[in-house]
Amino acid sequence: MTLALRAVPSASAATQNAVIRAQGLSKTYTAKSGPHVHALDPIDLDINDGEFVSVVGPSGCGKSTLLRLIAGLDPQTGGTLALGGRAVEGPSNEVGVVFQAANLLPWLTVRENVRLPLRVGGREWKVGNRVDDLIAMTGLSDFAERYPYELSGGMQQRAGICRALARDPKILLMDEPFGALDALTRERMNLELQRIWQTNAKTILLITHSISEAIFLGSRVIVMSARPGRIIADLPVDIPRPRSLDAILAHPSYQSLSRQIRALLNAQGEVE
Amino acid sequence: MSAVADSTAVAAVNKADVRPQRDNALLLVVAVFLVILGCWMLAVYRFDVPSYILPKPDAVLWALWSGLAVSPTSPIGYYLPLWGSLKNAAGGFLIGSVLGVSLGSLMAEFRTVEKSVMPYAFALQSLPKVAIAPLIVIWFGFGDGSKIAISALLAFFPMLINSFTGLRSVEPEKIDLMRSLSASRFETYRIVKLPHAAPYIFAGLDMAVVYALLGTIVAEFLGAQQGMGVVITQAQAITDVAGVFAALIILGALGIALHGLVRRAELRVVHWAHRNQK
Ligand SMILES: Nc1ncnc2c1ncn2[C@@H]1O[C@H](COP(=O)(O)OP(=O)(O)OP(=O)(O)O)[C@@H](O)[C@H]1O
Ligand SMILES: [Mg+2]
Repeated sequence: MTLALRAVPSASAATQNAVIRAQGLSKTYTAKSGPHVHALDPIDLDINDGEFVSVVGPSGCGKSTLLRLIAGLDPQTGGTLALGGRAVEGPSNEVGVVFQAANLLPWLTVRENVRLPLRVGGREWKVGNRVDDLIAMTGLSDFAERYPYELSGGMQQRAGICRALARDPKILLMDEPFGALDALTRERMNLELQRIWQTNAKTILLITHSISEAIFLGSRVIVMSARPGRIIADLPVDIPRPRSLDAILAHPSYQSLSRQIRALLNAQGEVE
Repeated sequence: MSAVADSTAVAAVNKADVRPQRDNALLLVVAVFLVILGCWMLAVYRFDVPSYILPKPDAVLWALWSGLAVSPTSPIGYYLPLWGSLKNAAGGFLIGSVLGVSLGSLMAEFRTVEKSVMPYAFALQSLPKVAIAPLIVIWFGFGDGSKIAISALLAFFPMLINSFTGLRSVEPEKIDLMRSLSASRFETYRIVKLPHAAPYIFAGLDMAVVYALLGTIVAEFLGAQQGMGVVITQAQAITDVAGVFAALIILGALGIALHGLVRRAELRVVHWAHRNQK
């Protein structure tokens, strides 16, 4: 069943375009006391340039772990991981990370928060008006000089996305970025993210707990097993873009995908 | 646009909520003051508590007046001793705070510094530091040096502990953020850790400023030419209890003023922390 579901990209295309390539990638957390946690089973994953990949899986299955490995925040304990053909040895300028719950610095204004990536890291960044352009693109211009506590949750997360885009990275990694938002705001943010992806030509890896969000945004949905995490399905989403929230619900592919993913997750002992 | 309107509306509502509360608090303070004054007068006038134990309120008022209503350079006024004490306390406060935050930062940043310094810091902290005062007087003499040193010592610890605690309590996500940006250790310290620790540091300053004053007064008790500690010991030597009371009231007022100053600076510098809580 798993095999039948997997969309196998043609080998040659993958080698040429894979911006993220994991082979036998695994992670075991070694604890000083208590048992070691085997978080990620050996994973093979190719993500091509410009793809939008959604990842769903049971809680604690290693999704954040996978993201942290790709972000260069933690070292893997097995296998290889390369971005654009270069082995990951630490955080890269080509990767922007959008954190859960925005993670803005409360003592900086919105503009200062978005500008943060450009004033650290020991490099001069010549970006022209990008900071203001990003702020304008996400509709935050009126709030550029405000502090995070003066913003709603959705606005904070938009600022968080702007910050991740400040260095114009090729890859955007997002770990449940909209998990803390209400359903309505979340839908708006999904539309906005689709727009950002379509206009900026980024490769995006989005971790989410929401099946509908995964399908709505993803060109592929990756389903992971319970811990230790493995990829149990890799499903292409062939719904034309730009997708709208109303249209997608009625789309036959959406319904069958949604059923498939739900069944896979249920088999892992988790219901969304 | 509408969000702006909303937030101002919220602010207005909050203000309306807070106002009567603050008035009530003020009323309560005044009421407690009147009760204390009443008991005091009752004790003095009704139960004839002798004036070498409890002076008459008007005697204290008179002592205050004669200390305040003089030229600032008068040797019998409060101004010269107050200035003397304040100067030394401020010096000690500054030195103690800077050293406290510096060592706290080193301890928070470097495990080896933490491991090697922490036991001694705790040992010194649990020592009643006022008891070291005579030793410091031996080392630094009866001049300004010993006052500044004791003030610095007393101001040092709250700053050390608070800055260390604040710097260590940064959320790991914020550190991850800086790591994902390949920020240097110092950038992370300056942009994330220090601002995060600012509310803790201000809480430390609030304590340190009063401790520094305390340190100077205690040092003056042990011997000094000038200062509020001297004013108190001199009044005590001639059992001028009203004079002691008056000097204590001056010191109390000074303490409140210093606290207010720190608080104001805090609201200004870490405004984001306070509005956050609301
Ligand atoms: N720093 C760590 N040290 C030890 N174990 C860890 C660490 N980080 C994560 N783990 C463990 O690894 C496993 C996978 O964690 P991970 O955060 O990747 O899960 P997740 O899929 O992101 O879960 P969720 O959906 O709840 O966010 C969990 O069992 C977790 O307890
Ligand atoms: Mg997670």
